[in-house]
Amino acid sequence: MGKTSKTVQINMDNQRLEVHRGLTILQAAESNGIYIPTLCAHQDLSPFGGCRMCIVEVEGMRGFPTACTTPVEEGMVIRTKTSQVQAERKEILQLILSEHTSSCLVCDEKVECKEFMGTIRKAGVTTGCRYCPNDDQCELQDVVDYLELDEIGYPVYYRGLRVEKEDPFYDRDYNLCILCGRCIRVCQEVRAANTLAFKQRGRFTVIGPAFDRTHMEAGCEFCGACVSVCPTGALSEKARKWEGKPDREQITTCALCGVGCQMRLLIKGEKIIGSLPAQDPVVNSGQLCVKGRFCVTELVNHHRRLRKPQRHQNGTEVELSWNEAIEAAAAELSVCAPKQFGMLISPNCSNEDLYIAQKFARVAMGSPNIDSSTRTFYGHGFSAYLDLFRQSAPLADLEKSSDILCVGLDARFGRSVVGVALRKAMKRGARIVTINPRPHNLALMADIWLKPILGAEAGLLRSLVKMTERKNSTSRTRAKGQGRGLTQDLLTVAEMLKNAHSPAILVGSEFLQHDKSWQIFELVGRLAQNVGARILPLPAQNNLLGSILMGTYPEILPGGFSSADEKKARQFKKSWSVNLAQFSTGWNASALSTGPRLKVLYLIGENLPGFDQLADFTIYQNIYSPDSPTVDALVLPSAAFTEADGTFINGEGRIQRVRKAVNPPGDALPDWEILCRIARKMGKKGFDFSSAGQIHREISRSVMNLGRFHRPKRKPVPLTWQGRVNVSRPKPSGKVKDGKQIPFLLHASSAEHVYRGFLLTAFVEGARQIFPQDMVDINPKDAQKKGISQGDAVVVSCERFQETWTANIVDEQPPRTLHVTLHQSASLGANPHRVKVKKKDV
Amino acid sequence: MSSEKRAELFSGYQGEEGDLIPILQRVQEKQGYISEEAVRRISRFLKISENQIYGVASFYSQFRFTEPGRNSIKVCLGTACHVRGGQILIDAVERELDISPGETTACGRFDLQRVACLGCCALAPVVQINDDIYSRMTVIRLKEILQNYE
Ligand code: SF4
Ligand code: SF4
Ligand code: SF4
Ligand code: FES
Ligand code: FES
Repeated sequence: MGKTSKTVQINMDNQRLEVHRGLTILQAAESNGIYIPTLCAHQDLSPFGGCRMCIVEVEGMRGFPTACTTPVEEGMVIRTKTSQVQAERKEILQLILSEHTSSCLVCDEKVECKEFMGTIRKAGVTTGCRYCPNDDQCELQDVVDYLELDEIGYPVYYRGLRVEKEDPFYDRDYNLCILCGRCIRVCQEVRAANTLAFKQRGRFTVIGPAFDRTHMEAGCEFCGACVSVCPTGALSEKARKWEGKPDREQITTCALCGVGCQMRLLIKGEKIIGSLPAQDPVVNSGQLCVKGRFCVTELVNHHRRLRKPQRHQNGTEVELSWNEAIEAAAAELSVCAPKQFGMLISPNCSNEDLYIAQKFARVAMGSPNIDSSTRTFYGHGFSAYLDLFRQSAPLADLEKSSDILCVGLDARFGRSVVGVALRKAMKRGARIVTINPRPHNLALMADIWLKPILGAEAGLLRSLVKMTERKNSTSRTRAKGQGRGLTQDLLTVAEMLKNAHSPAILVGSEFLQHDKSWQIFELVGRLAQNVGARILPLPAQNNLLGSILMGTYPEILPGGFSSADEKKARQFKKSWSVNLAQFSTGWNASALSTGPRLKVLYLIGENLPGFDQLADFTIYQNIYSPDSPTVDALVLPSAAFTEADGTFINGEGRIQRVRKAVNPPGDALPDWEILCRIARKMGKKGFDFSSAGQIHREISRSVMNLGRFHRPKRKPVPLTWQGRVNVSRPKPSGKVKDGKQIPFLLHASSAEHVYRGFLLTAFVEGARQIFPQDMVDINPKDAQKKGISQGDAVVVSCERFQETWTANIVDEQPPRTLHVTLHQSASLGANPHRVKVKKKDV
Repeated sequence: MSSEKRAELFSGYQGEEGDLIPILQRVQEKQGYISEEAVRRISRFLKISENQIYGVASFYSQFRFTEPGRNSIKVCLGTACHVRGGQILIDAVERELDISPGETTACGRFDLQRVACLGCCALAPVVQINDDIYSRMTVIRLKEILQNYE
């Protein structure tokens, strides 16, 4: 056989094998079903050769080479389990274990202990100590069993390290660590987050970030990749520590943002105990962000989940049966005039829920009044933002991009999977430019950070657009007004984009609540046209596009058609056999508190403060109980995304399946089912569905082809809907008068860690640490001038509002600016705000 | 760090990964230790995370991360000294001065380091303070000797 052939012949444990050239001995063994014990090797990581557990005997080679680092060669004769090899492995394992707490490994009572584990821990028991959370799921235990090790012949040396519990989501007990380096490699090679490193050396070696920083301080994204690969219990998930092994898994789509990662839900009995990334090459290639990895279990298992329908009246809560609840709802709705009805539905719901909701409003109620709080989230930039999708491209295109411009994107916590893709692109040689007035996680990796003056972002983009116009050569004069070295950078970026063979523009959330957001998005669109770039908008809502294509807006019909389109209206009349209401009430979500009072307001997955004051009667349908006691409302329990079947359309336009993993708690039902039951009770036709699949078929038949329910086509659909949402443009905020001292500029972002109208921080312990609440970022110099120290209460005020927040001193916050993240419902209106700041008097 | 200072640290380097060790050496030489600020600057310059830089730097005992004290105590933990109680000496200094190896006292009077073999194993355990070598050390003698340094 020639040297160039793709395979080599080897002999392993007296078997003649033909294996691919370039494999390691370990890989060759694994692909032929031969077990070699390993501790530091991992299929997704580069070989490390640190633990020496995988040593084998190779004829003609001295000593015992490690199988995980030695490539196969033609004619190699390998023996994987000679008595000498096994003895040597045992020796090595004992050395490793002499530094490792080993009660679960070599205890005399090991066998009994497994059987009589019923005792409560911390009680005085002699069997049943449980030192490590990974019991039964530990690779070290597997290797100990395989080598039949039952005692350790070396003096034990416990390191007595402090267990590190200060970071959110996972604990670190490095007393259990065997220094296999997998966590470091995954963090560097796979996530490119580089939070971890070996520190010191020899017997003092520890793992962690620089100096004595916590993971939080060191830039960790809490993606959990390190926890997943750790072979021992050294790294363990706080929320899953003692849950044990799952009995089954279900693959589904994450509902916490528009990336739409594929995830594996771990299920034990009827409970979701964890969520891990699925190996999906199309969207997230085996990665999740902190929300998908660590927030799902606490969200869906929270004690505030609604279990039974309830009637709330003047502070009393009465539990109802579904029959009573449906009757009550039908009774109120039957006497409600179309104009006096309004419905809001969250874009976190599935396409099937969204479709039924709009059908309910249009057909059962004869009303066009259906909307979503998304409208207020995006404000006057909504229409321009949606237009970006018309030039959008799939995320996988980042792999091919040569030059990537990130507009207002931060990818540390939310969307960190996109951050990973960016860092991979960078390693491959792509150039990265980021536009952001504030510190963000792309700042370190970007080649150029364009830092516009707060409030002058649109101007900066306008310069870029002008500089990249074909007829114009980039000229210095075009960039005036930005100053401070920015002009040169702008010229460089403009040149770079113009000459790029495959540019891409990623659009994050920084500018969504900006008073010129519509201009910013229009300019992004024009810039993309000028340089032939693809655009990748990264919406915060998992099914924003579903809400457009299912038509849950007054201006938009299913399929994305304009509701003024008479031809379409006639078509729907035929398929639904009703006249679509042709009147326009001009009603929408932003008119809720200002427009004429409604008789019935129906909220699905929406949570507005004081919602029961907005109409005579409210139907509140969600997964959690309302934030405050309600005066008069029907409260209906719905299923979370882990408890119902359906489909989502992610930010790329990809139709993805959500799968029911467990039953909803108590009597809760999927949103579509509740709606259908009420409609049937009202005697309406066209709501006889008994599964989400049936609804999916109706959508595919009469609106748009979503592909088969059980195997949805995951190719992105063309995002070319015709309808547009109407938005009003705000009055431009007045210029600062010369001579007057400029007040502080406050920029308030709307929180994106939201599911069905609730902040994740309300339900997920760790989320409170990574998504600070009511913290206002201020530059250290400004803080000093105002006598403010970290954690002080500060009062931020202007003519329209006065708020008290906690000071958070951030080095890179631009001088004389402030930043705060608020729940959408606490929105202060379009940014920026001119405010005064002072320390709160005590 | 001013921009001149930064230029001084990085001049002559292209910003490649292999520049890390020479840059660290230059920083240590110029500033006496590797400060958090320096690590941050290097990280921006080389586009390597601060965590990786620290990992590499802490591997080599030549680098220190705290400002050196006026006097520097080196306790030998080479094999001979370890066997003859070097660790006990470290523990004693830790308690006496309230610092761990690698740290400097708040008043800047002492810093403490553990070192490998000082080359006089026959006299173990050995402690070096500045340029003075003290052999066959005991905890009590060590405490007394410390009084002589200001
Ligand atoms: S959670 Fe992710 S970013 Fe943080 S240390 Fe682990 S792998 Fe690195
Ligand atoms: S923490 Fe876990 S993955 Fe990291 S080195 Fe230790 S044992 Fe290996
Ligand atoms: S990036 Fe979005 S879809 Fe992916 S895990 Fe995070 S929240 Fe879920
Ligand atoms: S698995 Fe090969 S050395 Fe650890
Ligand atoms: S071991 Fe301490 S001087 Fe050699």
